[in-house]
Amino acid sequence: MPVTKVLTDGIGEADLRDIGVYRARGGYQQWERAVRDLKPLDILDAAEKSGLRGRGGAAFPTGRKWSFLPSDRYPRYLVCNCDEAEPGTFKDHMLLEETPHLVLEGMLLGAYAIASHHAFIYIRGEFKRGYEVFCAALEQARQAGYLGTNILGSSYDLEVTVHRGAGAYICGEETALLNSLEGRRGEPRLKPPFPAVEGLYRKPTIVNNVETLAYLVPILQRGPEWFASAGTERSKGYKIVSVSGHVQRPGNYEMALGTSVREIIEIAGGLRPGRTLTAIQPGGGSSACIFEDDLDLPYDYESMAKAGSMLGSGAFLVFDDTTDFVNAAYNLVRFFAHESCGQCTPCREGGQWMERVLERLVHHRGIPGDYEMLMRVSGAITGLNLCPLGDSIEPFLKSVMVRFPEAFKSRIAAVGAPA
Amino acid sequence: MTQREKDFPALLERLRPECERIIAQYEQKRSALLPMMHLFQQNEGFVSQDAMQAAAEMLDLTPAEVESTVSFYTLLYRRPVGKYVLQVCRGLPCTINGAEDIMAYFREKLGIGHLQTTGDGLFSYEEVECLAACDRATCMEVNLEFAYDLTPAKIDEMLAAMRAGTYPVAPMPQTAAPASTWAVPQDGQVGDGKKAPGAVGVESPDNAGGVGDASGLIMLDNIINRDVYFFHRTQERAVVESRSVAELVEEEAKEGDRAGH
Repeated sequence: MPVTKVLTDGIGEADLRDIGVYRARGGYQQWERAVRDLKPLDILDAAEKSGLRGRGGAAFPTGRKWSFLPSDRYPRYLVCNCDEAEPGTFKDHMLLEETPHLVLEGMLLGAYAIASHHAFIYIRGEFKRGYEVFCAALEQARQAGYLGTNILGSSYDLEVTVHRGAGAYICGEETALLNSLEGRRGEPRLKPPFPAVEGLYRKPTIVNNVETLAYLVPILQRGPEWFASAGTERSKGYKIVSVSGHVQRPGNYEMALGTSVREIIEIAGGLRPGRTLTAIQPGGGSSACIFEDDLDLPYDYESMAKAGSMLGSGAFLVFDDTTDFVNAAYNLVRFFAHESCGQCTPCREGGQWMERVLERLVHHRGIPGDYEMLMRVSGAITGLNLCPLGDSIEPFLKSVMVRFPEAFKSRIAAVGAPA
Repeated sequence: MTQREKDFPALLERLRPECERIIAQYEQKRSALLPMMHLFQQNEGFVSQDAMQAAAEMLDLTPAEVESTVSFYTLLYRRPVGKYVLQVCRGLPCTINGAEDIMAYFREKLGIGHLQTTGDGLFSYEEVECLAACDRATCMEVNLEFAYDLTPAKIDEMLAAMRAGTYPVAPMPQTAAPASTWAVPQDGQVGDGKKAPGAVGVESPDNAGGVGDASGLIMLDNIINRDVYFFHRTQERAVVESRSVAELVEEEAKEGDRAGH
């Protein structure tokens, strides 16, 4: 199964930032069709039939998420989550900068599907270029009459607001994102109520990832059956996989779900000459590693879960035998400790503690018992926090500690020994 | 009154229509806070107390609510920064592709460390989390514009262009002189850019009493009246190396001096 370009079609070949180019390739036809001929329920049906699941990491079925909206409460909001910051993920960054009209058309369709008249896109603060590109695309679309009041002669009104973040990984979590969009600290909220019931300004709100919304366009264009025919029984359709690390051609590769792990490495040019594979982190910084025994697994949500990891946002990080896994674990634990919002004690304190323990291991100044303590503390954080950030500390760390225990234990020095 | 403070009322009047346009985009005013802070930072080079005060008034918030929110976000600088803010990615994909060497090279060339600004006010340097450009590791941003595939030669070129004023990214406006760091609210505070954990310097979570918390270090720092510098797990080192904290503080202060303070 090779690379199949769906969302990525035309990127690098045509200037898709130009609305004329985008339209010449069939762009905005689905939006025109939607406001003229389709009912919101038609789009919901198509999403459900296609089997599309959230591409931001949680993989929740998109149609079912929409169906949680209470039928009698308005206004409703659609929020496109472009706060991409999971270590190793770089697909939304590309979509935003290279094909902003596709992102916008997906947002318009998503908003229409849930009968929302105000959609937002929350763009990571670091994506300044992407923000400017998207704002320009939005202006072109406005000139073309694709948003505003009485869109294309219909009775449908829709406004889109672009909102820039300001540097906080946690704002990718949907309730933290909503707090940030309300002008507050980006601290996750207690759930339930879920955003579909009480979200932005305590109104029913759907938060969908950039890639998820963008797939609505080809799903409507080619039909939900086309999308559902790709992939596996429960992981249907296509996915952009962000391959990075020790491969010869890192990059975003779009493919049907279920492509084998081995094939993905080959698609990305394979390992560097003379190197051997040690591990793969298949779903972003929050995921556990898989190893060479897992090379023939299909890359889909179920197989990754069965292997003790997850597919997450599709960040596929490859490690060869030059990797220092103690340093890698320190790097990720430090990341989560740095990005903890600080609300929940296990995550705030646990992350900081583990960072310090791992830092001394990196410097060969470990203390006897550190290995066992790391195992115990990481396990004691999981499941005790408002949001998944705290739970994300354990998977990678534990997977490499179990696989490479000597790498960690050999860094333990006797107390008082010279550094 | 500084020149920036004198200029602020005129700036505020100039930006007020844009602020009102931003506010009108949202059903609730408070949503305009981050966009307004971006706007003021674009004009003043940082988020000044005046800007936060003005936002509080326009959005019917208390100054404390504004500062509490602003302080949550790492891209909003509450103190002036250098003309070029260099944010080098320390994410895992960059790290396994040599980011540590790249960062060491920057520190050596600039003579400063993480979260510090050069004495001439030209460069601020920060090591940041994954920038979502892992296919072109190692990467960085200069005033939020990406630069990819870093090498020492490329870094030399970039820094030379910035010094010559020919680098193709606009410098930050500088309406006030930057201090040695922007990461702590005032001079004289010890900071390593991390959020304060509950107990600092205790060698094991099983031993919650430990050897004290960070307040002792801050006091020691004030006593020896140093400029801001960065402790490297001093109390932990004291435990591991069986030495006194005071001795290590002296030693690290000297290292701080060597690092350009």
